Amino acid sequence: MLRIHGQVALIMRIFLMISKSIAILVASIFMMTVQLANAQSCTALQEQSGADIISVHCGGAPSATVDADGRLWVTFVQNKHVYVTYSDDKGENYSQAVRVNEEPEDAEFNGENRPKIVVAETGDVLLSWTTKTSSNFTGLIRFSRSVDGGKSFSQPRTINDDGLHTGHRFDSLFLTQSGNLYLTWIDKRDMEATLARDEDYPGAAIYYAVSQDYGKTFSENYRVSHNSCECCRIAMAPHGVDNVAILWRQIYDSQIRDHAIAVLSAQGQVSAMDRATVDDWYIDACPHHGPSMVSAQAEDQYHMSWFSAGDIHKGIYYARYDLNSAMSSHLIEVDATPGAGHPSLATHADELKMVWKGFNGVQTQLKLMRSHDDGKSWSPAEDFLLTDQASDHPLLISTAQGVYLSWWTAQYGYIFKEVANVEVR
Amino acid sequence: MLKFAEHARKTLLSVTAVALLAVSQVHADNIQAFSGQSFAQIKEDFAGKPFVLSLWSIDCAPCRVELKLLGEIKQQQPEFPLVVISTDLLEDREEAVDILDSYHLAEFASWMFADAFVEKLRFSIDPLWHGELPRSYFFAQDHSFKAHSGVLNKEQLQEYFPNWLE
Repeated sequence: MLRIHGQVALIMRIFLMISKSIAILVASIFMMTVQLANAQSCTALQEQSGADIISVHCGGAPSATVDADGRLWVTFVQNKHVYVTYSDDKGENYSQAVRVNEEPEDAEFNGENRPKIVVAETGDVLLSWTTKTSSNFTGLIRFSRSVDGGKSFSQPRTINDDGLHTGHRFDSLFLTQSGNLYLTWIDKRDMEATLARDEDYPGAAIYYAVSQDYGKTFSENYRVSHNSCECCRIAMAPHGVDNVAILWRQIYDSQIRDHAIAVLSAQGQVSAMDRATVDDWYIDACPHHGPSMVSAQAEDQYHMSWFSAGDIHKGIYYARYDLNSAMSSHLIEVDATPGAGHPSLATHADELKMVWKGFNGVQTQLKLMRSHDDGKSWSPAEDFLLTDQASDHPLLISTAQGVYLSWWTAQYGYIFKEVANVEVR
Repeated sequence: MLKFAEHARKTLLSVTAVALLAVSQVHADNIQAFSGQSFAQIKEDFAGKPFVLSLWSIDCAPCRVELKLLGEIKQQQPEFPLVVISTDLLEDREEAVDILDSYHLAEFASWMFADAFVEKLRFSIDPLWHGELPRSYFFAQDHSFKAHSGVLNKEQLQEYFPNWLE
């Protein structure tokens, strides 16, 4: 009797497990179809409109911004051209994409290196990207702008001013409240010069240039730091109304690839430079994992999130950095499961959000967590979106209306979706 | 007659299509598509034998240092059990082959990722690998393995393959 009872219980347990799995599956399918009703995969679009279609859903590594009027602007790369498109209904419908560079060029488009877009209060659309010039890690920092509301774009210009056929890559673009446009990148001019003297030069350098007329003219190039890592995106956040703080992967003691922070001014002064993370990642390799950084509530404080596989920290981490004390606080391990990476942070109305990618062996899980106390404590991680096909790094975009997710996936095309705030009682 | 013409036209079309397909699939290189099943196949090919796996990409500068060393080894020891996989997509094969060629590695079979869902392909090799490059593995005879991130040096290879590399 007991045995039969045991068998029944086992069958019941299996039945419950199966029904639970089906329920989860149905729920997740429902979640995706409801939330992504307007998403369109590139494959589906090509079937409808032909393989040559230029679309935000087919382009490589899109990035986005929302202007003062609430219009969404997206830039992406397709067939050696940078394109810009906009949407007045938050990504439901897009305008016909406008080609930025008339002459084809090898504009880079990948998770760590994508075209950047900023729209000024004047309505000027400002763009930067990296153009690859050979298979040997050489490139140019390119800039173009539109002064007619995105109808046409200026002939792209090269912003690195050394005229050298060497590495100038991984650009980042930021416009301050006062209208200073900062363009920063990874640069190998000092490496070339040092190697020519038969001396060692670990990594590359960080350089920047500033425009105070919305990209009409740029300053000379300023060096921030020697010995940066060569292959990770640079994070930028405002410092006051005029300056920016940047966070990048830096090489310490010739071998450790952790992070450094610095404040840059429009006149070329670099201050408050210090080591921002101590993970002790001894690696002579390209991590292809750049950090994320946004302003915290107090001036001079920044929320940082990054990946490391160091001796001290392994996985995705969060900490709040204070420029005055050069110390981090509230450090937590966000996700140390294999496959976790590429965090992105954003704040809106006292809510700090973080998304990142996980992989469970079958699906990519986009995970989300929130903090309502400036990064002191966090909600548990939740699965936000799922895909079982290829996808880009997720990016959070902070707008006046809220925080949005910008994410390209093969399955759903380009997703621009609000990440709603959670009411705190 | 009309029917025959229609039939001939269709036949011609399909012959052309097959010919075009064949041309588009023929590459005069030794690159193979690395899919979700490829790594199991590679291990089967090396059943009961040790091997070195080296992963690289076009965009990775330190990888070139490792490719140079591996190319030198293969020139001296063409039978050295080496598997080279590029994590770039197949559409970049010409660029990858040019690079392999400059390190004398193009004459040997190697693989390139055949799916943009790179997380899945990385997972099929090693769930604990975060994607950093170069990444290498020493597979022992029983295929227990040791992973390494960063550029391999000759001493490390000698330690695992003393009979091959003196």
